[in-house]
Amino acid sequence: MANLKDIQRQIKSVSNTQKTTRAMKLVSTAKLRRAEELAKRSRLYAAKMNQVIAEIAGRIKCNKVGGIDNRCFLKIENPKIVDVIFVTADKGLCGGFNIQTIKAVKKLLSEYEERNVKVRLRGIGKKGIEFFKYNEVEIFDSVTDLSSKPDKKRSDNFILSSIEDFNDGKIDGLHIVYNGYKNIITQELHVNHLLPVDSDQFECTEVQNSILEIEAQDEEHMLTSLVNKYVEYNMYYSLIDSLAAEHSARMQAMDAATNNAKEMVKTLNVKYNKARQAAITTELIEIISGVESMK
Amino acid sequence: MDKFKLEILTPNGVIYNDDAVSVVLPGEEGEFGVLAHHASLTTLLEAGVIDIEKKDKSVESILINWGVVQVDEKKVIVLVEGAVAIRGDSESAIANALEDAKKLIKDIADSNPAIASVSAKLESAASRLL
Repeated sequence: MANLKDIQRQIKSVSNTQKTTRAMKLVSTAKLRRAEELAKRSRLYAAKMNQVIAEIAGRIKCNKVGGIDNRCFLKIENPKIVDVIFVTADKGLCGGFNIQTIKAVKKLLSEYEERNVKVRLRGIGKKGIEFFKYNEVEIFDSVTDLSSKPDKKRSDNFILSSIEDFNDGKIDGLHIVYNGYKNIITQELHVNHLLPVDSDQFECTEVQNSILEIEAQDEEHMLTSLVNKYVEYNMYYSLIDSLAAEHSARMQAMDAATNNAKEMVKTLNVKYNKARQAAITTELIEIISGVESMK
Repeated sequence: MDKFKLEILTPNGVIYNDDAVSVVLPGEEGEFGVLAHHASLTTLLEAGVIDIEKKDKSVESILINWGVVQVDEKKVIVLVEGAVAIRGDSESAIANALEDAKKLIKDIADSNPAIASVSAKLESAASRLL
């Protein structure tokens, strides 16, 4: 029989935890609203940007537009080194949010390992970095405090070295893995293959075969700066999308925790009442048997 | 006059999404105008003012700092990084928009030598409204 005092202490500690989780849920709800708003406003721009790039890639593929040999639009058959950027949260307590991203990264890593491709892992967010450090997976470089406070300048700086390395031929691919926001209760894992621009899904049809006219004497320059913006913006969008997803995941996790704590307090209360009743019964029996023995 | 669909998007949302009769864009190689049924074209824009002529002949000006435009036979999509629309119902609203626009110009002034002409155009766009 558990001690009455012990149970009381347990009840107290569980209800304290419940208070904390409820507060965290409220904080996440407030933050989610802001992050969601930001992500929503940017979604259209990101989608259009990807569409424009995809169309250009498609037209280059379909028309074999003369002289365009920009590396970003060519299919690289045997990649040797690729960059994988992952975005995780800086903080935990958000359910499976981080671990999902980590799993996807691990899958990508093993796929590339099979194909004998070297992967340079670049990490954003403490949780993912810690995980790979602990598991002794080499991380090429990493940055923290960026996924919790997305900043266009810092994200541009971070991605720039990958773009430059790609253009210099040091790497042959660039992927971003992140957990994005789908709706308030679901997150959606994204593995984006940014470079080289994937034109496979693009079917050559009549319309797209119309002439691609790039009004610039320097097509190369235009494509390069466009691709730069495309990659930069995708990086930034991943960050804000991931932040919204993080808050929604945390909100959900904390909600579940609060409910669990509530359940636990309930069962503990029942247990406490039972123990108290048992104690009273024992005492009564003791008194009665004492009286009986005196007769 | 034929019209076409014009969309101007910024990372912060849609700034213009309506029909237009013509639009003048500040291309990297110089300004160019687009009417309906323009041949498809993709090019970069530099800092400058986009002038949109609407169905009712009114002209709207939007200041941008960088952008890319995709023109095809049916529609024109402009993606810009930063943009301020010079519009408003009252003088003070226009003045506010102008203030925002000047701020945007300041941000890009270092990187662009052609900025003086941009501010001049901006002033003229505003005076047209006042």
